[in-house]
Amino acid sequence: MGAHLARRYITETDTEPDPKKKFEFGPQVGLPDRNEREMVATQEQMNLAQLPVEQRDYCAHHLLKLMKCKRDNWPAFLSCKHERHDWDYCQNQDYLMRMKEYERERRLQLRKKRLAVQPEAA
Amino acid sequence: MAGVVGFQRWVRALTRARVAGMPALLSASRAASGPSKGMLPGPYPNTPEERAAAAKKYNMRVEDYEPHPDNGEGFGDYPKLPDRSQHERDPWYSWDHPDLRRNWGEPMHWNFDMFIRNRVDTSPTVVPWHTACKHLFGFIGFMLFMFYVGEQFPAYQAVGPKQYPYNNLYLERGGDPDKQPEEVKNYEI
Repeated sequence: MGAHLARRYITETDTEPDPKKKFEFGPQVGLPDRNEREMVATQEQMNLAQLPVEQRDYCAHHLLKLMKCKRDNWPAFLSCKHERHDWDYCQNQDYLMRMKEYERERRLQLRKKRLAVQPEAA
Repeated sequence: MAGVVGFQRWVRALTRARVAGMPALLSASRAASGPSKGMLPGPYPNTPEERAAAAKKYNMRVEDYEPHPDNGEGFGDYPKLPDRSQHERDPWYSWDHPDLRRNWGEPMHWNFDMFIRNRVDTSPTVVPWHTACKHLFGFIGFMLFMFYVGEQFPAYQAVGPKQYPYNNLYLERGGDPDKQPEEVKNYEI
């Protein structure tokens, strides 16, 4: 928690990735067999539900299920805990994937620096 | 209707004075409720006798009396009193006018209406003025400097950008449906 800031500004200023800039390494570098992320909700479904743009991510199908549950069960607002948990879990997994992407980029940058140093040393 | 009649009678009284033009409309006699001629301010005092007379007129000691400088501003012999507001006067003394903190007959400052207790306050600050200024501007300067540092070295979460489907929501963000969008593929990790 915050170690990345110390790395970015003090110790490893050249390798720590900047989240505002585009990441340098493509998605397949070092990971040849990657599965594509599946999008379950279609654009038409999201349009009909009038979802805001920020919520049209890879967890939108859970959100649509949750919205339907809430509308069906109103005024029993405590009845959709299972659907809400599914959506929250999906969002959590998405955030973990973002953290892993950042870490992957950081390690690839360190590796690039190590390889640049090696031929000079060799 | 009565106001009009009274006005007419006033005009007739003035014209009976047989003075022509504008002065006919301005009455030469003053009401008895105002100050007498000797109590009104006069011209700048040049001789010591005039100064003594002016000091006596304003109920001041000759040593204390100091007229405003005679530089054409029109103060005459009115005394120049220190610019201290009524806040600085003793609140526990039994003044004749407790609200104004003034005794009857006391010489009034030129800007007395400004120095009443509802308005300008010249009482000394709790902390010396330059110290207070240093503290305030030092703090503000420090905060501005820290905000600048925060802009140069922002704090962020160590996460990559959020991934959206359908070529980063090309159509939902107002992209042209006829053009081919840039291909964006997202993978699991």
